[in-house]
Amino acid sequence: MSEDAIIGLLVATVQFATLVYLAGLGELIAERAGVLNLGVEGMMAMGAVTGFMAAIATDRPWVGFAVAALVGMATAGVHALVSVIMGAGQVVSGLAITIGGLGFAAFIGQDAVRERADSVFTDLSIVGLADIPWVGPILFDQPPVVYLAVVLGVAAWFVLSRTRLGLALRAVGESASTTDSVGHSVILLRTSAVLVGGAFAGAAGSFLSLYMAAGWTEGLIAGRGWIAVALVIFGAWRPGRLAAGSLLFGFTLALQPRVQTFDLTILGLEVNTISPALLGILPFLLTVVVLIAISFRARHRPSPAPAALTLPYRREER
Amino acid sequence: MTEPTHAPLHTVARGRARWHRVLVRPVLQRRARVAPAAQAIAFVIGIVLALIAGALLLWGSGNDPVTVYQRMAESSLGGFDALSRTLLRATPLAIAGLAVAVAGSMGLWNIGAEGQMMAGATAAAGFAMVAGDLPGPVLIVLMLVAGAVGGVVLVLGPALARAYLGVSEIITTLMLVEVAIRIVEWLKVGPWKDPESFGFAQISPLPDKASLPGLFGQVHIGVLFAVALLLAFWLAVSRTAWGYELRMAGSSPATARYAGISLQRKVLTALLLSGGLAGLAGAIELSGTATRLEPGLSSGYGFAGIIVAALALMRPSGVAVVAVVFGAVLRGGQSIQTLGVTSSIATILQAMILIGALVAAVLLNYRVRWVRPVGSGADGDAAENPASAGASGV
Repeated sequence: MSEDAIIGLLVATVQFATLVYLAGLGELIAERAGVLNLGVEGMMAMGAVTGFMAAIATDRPWVGFAVAALVGMATAGVHALVSVIMGAGQVVSGLAITIGGLGFAAFIGQDAVRERADSVFTDLSIVGLADIPWVGPILFDQPPVVYLAVVLGVAAWFVLSRTRLGLALRAVGESASTTDSVGHSVILLRTSAVLVGGAFAGAAGSFLSLYMAAGWTEGLIAGRGWIAVALVIFGAWRPGRLAAGSLLFGFTLALQPRVQTFDLTILGLEVNTISPALLGILPFLLTVVVLIAISFRARHRPSPAPAALTLPYRREER
Repeated sequence: MTEPTHAPLHTVARGRARWHRVLVRPVLQRRARVAPAAQAIAFVIGIVLALIAGALLLWGSGNDPVTVYQRMAESSLGGFDALSRTLLRATPLAIAGLAVAVAGSMGLWNIGAEGQMMAGATAAAGFAMVAGDLPGPVLIVLMLVAGAVGGVVLVLGPALARAYLGVSEIITTLMLVEVAIRIVEWLKVGPWKDPESFGFAQISPLPDKASLPGLFGQVHIGVLFAVALLLAFWLAVSRTAWGYELRMAGSSPATARYAGISLQRKVLTALLLSGGLAGLAGAIELSGTATRLEPGLSSGYGFAGIIVAALALMRPSGVAVVAVVFGAVLRGGQSIQTLGVTSSIATILQAMILIGALVAAVLLNYRVRWVRPVGSGADGDAAENPASAGASGV
């Protein structure tokens, strides 16, 4: 197996990790505030198609990226309206966002399917660092969205764990009535978290259409939104562990199209006989295992899941 | 409820949110009792809102909404053949919706019905491969049994984890959807690849005798299964002690435990039954409409089933009605492709019906009251004083 192939695999790992990290980070923020949003897949599709169309229209990928974030936010706004403000069930509302978002994206993207993407993100080499062997091409010769994801991850960690706003957000995810009683607006906090989450998912979707696939097709998201939902659990609702999890999930995603070309034997197993489809099962099975492990551990210490997750808050019923 | 009792408190507590003191704002008050027909009204409102939104969307994209809706209505409801095509789609929707409703009637969310349908179809197809020598009717019956078993197998892990470890079934069942679809993808290119398929891989076709017999028009006898299962569930839930216990376990776990009901066993039965029904729906869809197993077989019926059950408030009669409406929307969506309009409009309509109905149901249960700002000087001062400012931090 050649050096180029290994570097190519790791470069793709970082990119897939960025994709699921961005979407997962948004979902993490919403879930820490107590709102499960199963609409990630739909929000990503909306971001992917609108970002792609905006980038074509303006010839600027960053405009597409920004539009995708705004559209993702607007899509999440429906979930916020229905589940946070109206207090209807989060599970059904989120699913409606996924189903409706996928349908809506397919509808508005009909004409974009055959468009060629001339205006997509290009790799940004970091002077000096990009020339380091191995590390350079993998970490420092990537599209700018990859670096942005790192910055956003640090920012999200900082806000969530080091600021009053973050404390209020986490509090509302643990106990909405307590947070309400100390004078914070539950609706405002949760709605903001859901909207920010939508912006992240929309932006992630556009990273797919504006760089990784460089185009739009109806099945573009292909379950990556569900991977983001899984990732939040796998990462135990923490931005740092989310990053580690995204590298692992990103690796399985990057490996899928390549595995059958690898002429390699590990522990007597010929790698190129592994089925890409079965490899794709791994993130989902791992997440189920992690959920079960968390529940075993929860007998000794508190579960990392936000206590008020999926519970709607109605002040008059408190 | 009189306004002044909590409005000033509200204002004081939110010293930082100045807009509260400036804007007239809506306050939701819950009605004492929900009218029994409220959900039905909400559903109709949801349909109307979805049709309006869909019309705007069609109009905005250069289509004539009247023409498109006319075609959708004619092709799904206008005449015998059209109705039979609607019922063909309503069948898997009703059984999948029922599957979700069985778990839902005790407060559990089987989000993985889509995966269990795939598992059921896979088990049925697998059975047809190994037992292809059996006579047709026997083969079909055993395929359906295999389908139910397949659904149960997929939901077994989440059900055990929920019952004995308290692991939320929402995420575990959802995760297994992707697992089931990818297993079928693997079967397609791997062990079950049709040796006759060159170019692109396909799973071997089912023998002709494995197809469910037709009933009328496009409808196969699967629709009878759907009706029978809905009736059976209605009887079980409303007329038996088992159903009563199931609902009690969902609505008041503490009461149920006090009454000597094993919650763990109830959770397990409800989820396994739910998975089995979804698996059966998959097997029926395979045997009734498809010639071979493929990863896109369920094509969203399982997820739509969740919407169906939610709109039906987990009641069997509601499942039947909503499934037929959604079946008509799906058939209508397919028919407008000849007009050059994408069938994705059907998916959009489904989601919009749900969102519209969710909002309408809340609004029907609540009264919206517009609260004027409590603009008196005293309140304004109170919000500025240090004590209340301190109260706004955590």
